[in-house]
Amino acid sequence: MKKQLWIGLSMMLLAALVLGACGTPATEAPAPVEPQPAATEAPAATEAPAMEPVELTIWHGYHTGEAEEQTVNQILEAYKVAHPEVTVNVLAVPFDQLFNKWETEVAAGGGPDMFTAPNDNLGNEIRGGLVAAIDELVAGKLDGFTQLGIDGVSYEGKMYAVPGIAKAVGLFYNKSTIASPPTTTDELMALVKEGKKVIFRPYGYHLFGIFTGAFGGTLLDETGKCVADQGGFADAFAYLAELQAAGAMFEPDEGKANTMFMQGEADMILTGPWMLGTFKEALGDNLGAVPLPTGPGGTATPLTGIDGWYINPNSTKQQAAVDLALYMFGPEGAKVYSDVAGSPMARTDVTASDPLVAEFAAIASAGFPRPQSVEFGAWWGAFDDASKKLLENQGTPAELVAAACASMNTANNK
Amino acid sequence: MATTESAFQAAAGGKRLTKRLSPYLYLLPALLVMVVITFYPMGFQAYMSLTDYGIKNLRFDAPLPDFLALKNYIRIATTDLGLSNFDFWKMLGFNLWWTFSNVIVHVSMGIVIAVALNTEGLWFKRIYRAIFIVPIIIPQIIIANVFRNMFDPDYGAINQGLTLLGQLLRISPELFQIRWIDQVDFPISWLPLTLSYFALLITNVWLGWPFMTIVATGALQSIPRELYEAAEIDGASGPQQFWRVTLPLLRPAMVPAAVYGIVVTFNLFTLIYFLSGGGPIRRTEILLTAAFRLINEQRLYGLAAAFSVYIFLILLGLTLLTNYITRATESYDV
Repeated sequence: MKKQLWIGLSMMLLAALVLGACGTPATEAPAPVEPQPAATEAPAATEAPAMEPVELTIWHGYHTGEAEEQTVNQILEAYKVAHPEVTVNVLAVPFDQLFNKWETEVAAGGGPDMFTAPNDNLGNEIRGGLVAAIDELVAGKLDGFTQLGIDGVSYEGKMYAVPGIAKAVGLFYNKSTIASPPTTTDELMALVKEGKKVIFRPYGYHLFGIFTGAFGGTLLDETGKCVADQGGFADAFAYLAELQAAGAMFEPDEGKANTMFMQGEADMILTGPWMLGTFKEALGDNLGAVPLPTGPGGTATPLTGIDGWYINPNSTKQQAAVDLALYMFGPEGAKVYSDVAGSPMARTDVTASDPLVAEFAAIASAGFPRPQSVEFGAWWGAFDDASKKLLENQGTPAELVAAACASMNTANNK
Repeated sequence: MATTESAFQAAAGGKRLTKRLSPYLYLLPALLVMVVITFYPMGFQAYMSLTDYGIKNLRFDAPLPDFLALKNYIRIATTDLGLSNFDFWKMLGFNLWWTFSNVIVHVSMGIVIAVALNTEGLWFKRIYRAIFIVPIIIPQIIIANVFRNMFDPDYGAINQGLTLLGQLLRISPELFQIRWIDQVDFPISWLPLTLSYFALLITNVWLGWPFMTIVATGALQSIPRELYEAAEIDGASGPQQFWRVTLPLLRPAMVPAAVYGIVVTFNLFTLIYFLSGGGPIRRTEILLTAAFRLINEQRLYGLAAAFSVYIFLILLGLTLLTNYITRATESYDV
C-alpha cells in the first residue's frame, strides 16, 4: 500500500513536471497592478474608452518602491480610468536580466506585449527580429516627441519604440565647495590643480563626450571603420592623463564613487540623471549640475541614450500596446515621469519643474544619439580597456587609441 | 500437451524478456530527462560552434545560421576575435595556473587541518568541524562582493588591518594603500601575476579548504587504529606515520576530491566575474568568463559555443590525465 502510494506520488510529480514544461509561454499574465497612492496628481483621462476588452502584459526593470516604479503605476492607474476596457499586467524584471529575458522569450514566440528599457541593446534586438517596427502604428501620433528621441529608437529608417526618457552624463557638483562650476576643460584642470576633487568613471560611456565633441574626435567613418586614431581621441587621452596627475580620481566602482560625492569627499562627479534623486537626498540644495566642459574641439557630446517602450513582434495586440506606450510617454505621462521620477523627457511640450531635471534634459538634447550599428558594439570593450590602460600608465595616448581602434576594426572586419 | 508446453515456454520467455527489459524501463524516465536537458543542449552547442549563430538566428522562425566548419575554433586559437587584450593561449595558461595553484593549496591545507583537528583529546572538535561548512553554504556571489569590499584600497578591511599591523611595526601607512583589484602592474616583476590574482587566490583558499578538510576528516576516521599501533611498534616517528600511513590511505578519498576541485576551480565563474571582473584588463580572465562576455556583450553565440567546446575538451583531457597519473578510479585494498 505504502509502495503504491509512493509510486502514485512519483507519477503525479512527473506529470506535474511534464505539464509544467508544456505550459503556456511567458505571456501568462502576472498579477494585475495594485493601486498605488498617488505622489502627485495623476494625468487626466484624455481618450474615450473603446468597447473591446484588451489585456496587456508589460515589463519594466525598475526596483520595487523606487520612483520610476511608482511613476509607472501612477500613470497606469490614470490610464485604466480612461480605458476601463484595458487590463494591464505589470511585471518588474531585475534590470540585469531584462534584455536577456526579453530576447529569450520573444525568440521562443512568447514574451509580454511590450517592455521599457534604455536603447542599450536596440541594434542587436532589431537585427534579431526581437522588436517590432511601429511606424504604421504611430503614424500621425508623434507630435511633441523630440527628433533626438525619435532618432534614438530608429534604425535604417524604421522606428522601433515609443521614445521617452533621454539620458546623458553631466557634471554634478557640490555648491558648498564649488562656487563656479567649470565650463571648459581648462577651467576643470585649474580647479583640480587648486585641490578640488573630481571623480570620473574610467569607461567609454562616461568619457565619450570628452573624446568626441570636446576634443573633436570621430569614432567611426561612414563605412563603420574606426578612425579615432586620426585625431582628437589621443589629445583627449593626454588631457585625462594630465587631469589624473593633477589629482582627479578615476573610480571604476560606481557605488564607491557616488558615496564619496555624497559624503563630501569629492566636489564633482561625472555621472547621469539616474543619480539625481539619490544625490538630492544627500546634498539637498547644494546639488548642482552642468554639462561636460567644452574643450578645444568644441562642446562635449556625451552619448544620449533613449528609454523607450518596445513592442513585441509576437504580440497580437500591438496597436493597443502602442497606444498605451504613447500615453505613458505622452504629455501627461511624461510630466509624471519628469516630476515624480525626475526623468529628463524627450518631449518638446514637457517642462520639468525641477531645474536639475531640466538641465539634464538640455544635456541629453545636446548629446550624440547612441549608435545602434554592429560596428559600434565593439567600442565598449576596446575603449574601456584603453582608458583603463591610460590611467595605469600602460602606454602613450596615441598607442592606446591606435590599439583600441585596430581592435575594433578587427572585430568588425574593417 | 504440446500446446500447454509451448504456452509455458512462451510465458517463461515473456518473463525473461520483462526481467531483461525492466532495468531499462526504470532508467527510461531519467534517460528522457537527460536527453532533453543535457544531451540535446550539448549536441546543439556543438552544432552552434560550427556556425555563425548570432542574435539574428535566435528566433524560432529565424533562418539557419551559415555553416563555418572549424572557422570559430581557428579564430579563437589564433586570437583573431578583435577583443582587446584577448590572447587565448595566455588565458588558457592563466586558467590552468589558477586551477592548479588553488587546488594544491586547498588539498594541502585541507589535509593538514584535518589531521590537526583529528588529534585525540582536542577540545570543541565538533564545533570546529561544523564551522567548516560556513564558506560552503554562503552563496559565492555574496562572498565575492564581501571580499571585493574587503580588498578596497581606501575602505577595505584588508588594507586597514595591514595598516594597523604596520603601525605596530612603525611602517608608513602609505605602503598599505594596496590597489588589490585594479593595479595592472605585476607586484613581482618577474612573475606575470597581478595583485587581483592574489586577491582571488586568498578568497578562494578561504572558500575551498573546508571542503577538502571535510573529505579528509571523513577519510581519517576510516583508517584503522591498528595500523598506527603497528607502525609505532616498528619504531615509526610521527612524521613517518603521516607520510607512510595517513597520506597513502587518504589518497582514495582525496584524489577524486582534487579532480572535482580541478573541474570546479577551472570554471569558477562567479568568484572571478564578481570579484575582479576578469580584470585588470583581462589579466584574471578565465575561459568561461571570456565565453560569457562573448554572449552577454556581443551576442556571438557561435563563437561562445566553440569556446565552451574548447573548455569541455580541456577539462576532459585534464580529468583523464589526472585519472591516469593518480589511478583515482582503481580500488585500494588495505
